[in-house]
Amino acid sequence: MINRYLEKAWVQYLCLATLTALLVYYFGWVFDFGYKFDWSVLYKKDASYGVVLGDMLITGLGNTITISLISSGIALGLGVLFGLGRLSQFKPVNWFASAYVEFFRNTPLLIQLFFWYFALPMGLPEELRNKLFDYNYEMVAATLALGIYTSAFMAEVIRAGIQSIPKGLLEASYSSGLTPFQTLSKIVLPLAFRAIIPPLGSEFLNNMKNSSLAMVVGVTELCWASQQIESLTFKGFEATTAATIVYLSLSLIIAGILNLVNLKLQIIPKKDKTIGHAFADIFFWPFLASLSLLSALSSCCFRRRSEDFNLTRAQAARKALLNKIKKIFSLIWKATFVSFLLFVVIMAGVGLSGFNFQVIWDNLGTLIYWRFPNGGPNEVLWGLGGLSFSILMSVIAISVSFFIGLIVGVGRTSKNKLFFIPSTLYIELIRGNPLIMVIFWIYFFIPILTGTFLNVFWSATIALTVFTGAYLAEIVRSGIQNIPPGQLEAAVSTGLTYLQAMRKIILPQALKQMLPAIVGQFIAIFKDSSLAFVIGVLELTFVAQGLNNRLMIYPFEIYTTVAALYFICCYMMSIVARRLERKLSTDTFRLQM
Amino acid sequence: MKRLMIMALAASLVLAFAASAFAGATYDQVMKDKVVRAGIMTDSIPGAFYNAKKEWVGFDVDIAKAIADKMGLKLEMVPVNNKTRIGFLQQGRIDMSLSNMTHKRSRDNSIDFSITYFFDGQKMLAPKGKFSSLKDFVGKRIATMQGTTSELNVVAALKKLGDPAPKVISFQKESECFQALQMGRVDAWSTDSTILLGYAAQVPGKFELVGEFFSNEPYGIGLPEDDSKWRDSVNFTLQDMWNDGTYQKIYDKWYGPDTKYYFPMTDKIEMWP
Repeated sequence: MINRYLEKAWVQYLCLATLTALLVYYFGWVFDFGYKFDWSVLYKKDASYGVVLGDMLITGLGNTITISLISSGIALGLGVLFGLGRLSQFKPVNWFASAYVEFFRNTPLLIQLFFWYFALPMGLPEELRNKLFDYNYEMVAATLALGIYTSAFMAEVIRAGIQSIPKGLLEASYSSGLTPFQTLSKIVLPLAFRAIIPPLGSEFLNNMKNSSLAMVVGVTELCWASQQIESLTFKGFEATTAATIVYLSLSLIIAGILNLVNLKLQIIPKKDKTIGHAFADIFFWPFLASLSLLSALSSCCFRRRSEDFNLTRAQAARKALLNKIKKIFSLIWKATFVSFLLFVVIMAGVGLSGFNFQVIWDNLGTLIYWRFPNGGPNEVLWGLGGLSFSILMSVIAISVSFFIGLIVGVGRTSKNKLFFIPSTLYIELIRGNPLIMVIFWIYFFIPILTGTFLNVFWSATIALTVFTGAYLAEIVRSGIQNIPPGQLEAAVSTGLTYLQAMRKIILPQALKQMLPAIVGQFIAIFKDSSLAFVIGVLELTFVAQGLNNRLMIYPFEIYTTVAALYFICCYMMSIVARRLERKLSTDTFRLQM
Repeated sequence: MKRLMIMALAASLVLAFAASAFAGATYDQVMKDKVVRAGIMTDSIPGAFYNAKKEWVGFDVDIAKAIADKMGLKLEMVPVNNKTRIGFLQQGRIDMSLSNMTHKRSRDNSIDFSITYFFDGQKMLAPKGKFSSLKDFVGKRIATMQGTTSELNVVAALKKLGDPAPKVISFQKESECFQALQMGRVDAWSTDSTILLGYAAQVPGKFELVGEFFSNEPYGIGLPEDDSKWRDSVNFTLQDMWNDGTYQKIYDKWYGPDTKYYFPMTDKIEMWP
């Protein structure tokens, strides 16, 4: 009886509306937050400091947008370069591109930021360093670090996209007389980009969210601004809310643009076009018009190449000569590249040989397990910290969030609005925000909500769990949607209920497919655990900073060790992921942040 | 499914045990448990830091110990940083916070403060011999730490000296400010002078404090809002410590003339007859 009513859409909406109203009533009037809200800190002139603190948020937003835009440009350029590099026939290019991608993908962005900002200038000669410092080096370092980090992910996406192009298409384009360059620019890249727009789009989104980390090298972006207001007035709740709303709107705008791109790229007959398509056409008209102008210009300047069949003797000789020159140039280029690689390797060797390995050796224990088991009485887990703490956090986070992801992911595919809307809200809300904001939220919110306090370790672990849950839910959703719908219909028609069909038929198959993606998420969460340092969790990055703080003159040694520790763990996991992928032979998967 | 349920249950139990109940009125709670929980920083030299043996030491640590001793309580030290110290206090995770907290009116809206237990002021730390007075820093790059009052102070001070747009870069940690100073990214680092002394002492002879104090930074012990009984007992304890010389002893241990962080005492704590 109840079930039949619940299947009606209006009943579902009514239930949701009632639930929302109850929640609003409860938290608006009944629940005691034990906290005095004072939103005026955002727009009133502060008496102690003599400034309107909300203005910082606006400046911060400007910086966030600048960093995101420039670094996305860098990331896309480098991503295309290294994505192609990974497919190169010339082995050294291939090795270099693979090393680049693996290294930057498997170390936390935080550590990379520290490296570009604090370590790199120390390796430069004094004059160059001073010249660099005349610019806004915070911004430069953060943008560069972010661009390079994102480019590693984009390279993988682009590689997968290119590899998905059927071989026959290439053969056809070569046999129709196109040069390799023309094939690349006219056939491969346009087709590949169509296939990779969705994953590439989420990399742009991640890039914007990751720009929140630029605050650790002193860039005054949005997250920095909210932190600044918090620390000046101790009104964390208000400041964090404001920043969250801004981040969410930014995410929505980016998602909207990507949607338009998607519409624009769809190949559909004219009569099926919707308003969305028309809007996309208008939106992209300026870009496309300038592009077509460019191609018209280039076809003016460059004559079509002639066929090889009826050349005069002189023409044939010229052609042979040109080919020879081309070959020589390619040899020169290859030699230059190999010597560049050698130079890099030798420089790295020289840098490493200057290290004080005794320092690394002496502090390795500290970095891995802090002062376990001799911790103070109120330390979590007998004073555990460092690398093992990071691992522990991510293990807890992934195992709990797996169930969240499963439930929410199934809810997201459900037709019942009662499950669909809350699941979608949860996913979009969490995925629209940087992890660092989620960490601050959980940190402020759980104690207010439950009236109990948590150790920062648990607070950060819950934040990681909630954050990963949203991403896993999306993995689960796509896994479920990959299973042919006929299976569910067949299962239901044999008399199984929806839940039984899900549990016994759909999920077991979907989970098998999702395994590589889940491992990828695990890597991401392990790296992200480094962000817990902001609320003072004694994980690897925090311990490293404390160590650096005390030793002072060995930043290179410490940060390199930390990067190596993260890299080893992540790389081992990604090898496992690749094995799984091959074994289960599913579609290529992508790391998500 | 049963297995799933059990695992979920186990996970929620772990979380539940991690949390413990909210405290009532702080004074009653502390006196009942005979334990006082103090929030102390971990990376402020010589205020509170981990030494080479990974022991937690410093001026704030000793003051907290002395307060607990005087009240006959057991001390429980909770690590905090400039992002967590206020939240912990408001949530009752700690009963007092000794963590370089400058007493400001707008901060007093959220928590209470004890009487000033340490007198500090802001100065500039710069490479030795490069600058001689505060005026020399006009147009230079200055590092500060986010979450402290130093940044606004230094901006205000430089503006007063005629710098139209002071170039101030703020970092998350003290060590990062110092690193930026060492590598020449900034010309000076400005914050409370005792912190600067602590760092300058790590590489003797390279850096010096320049110029006069340009702000007043009275440190208070952060206390939960609206709990006058607890606030009184902390204040009285501080005054007793001053009177019987405990305070001086601790002060001399960390900031006395024989230490690396020599810092002459400039004021005396507020004394109620």
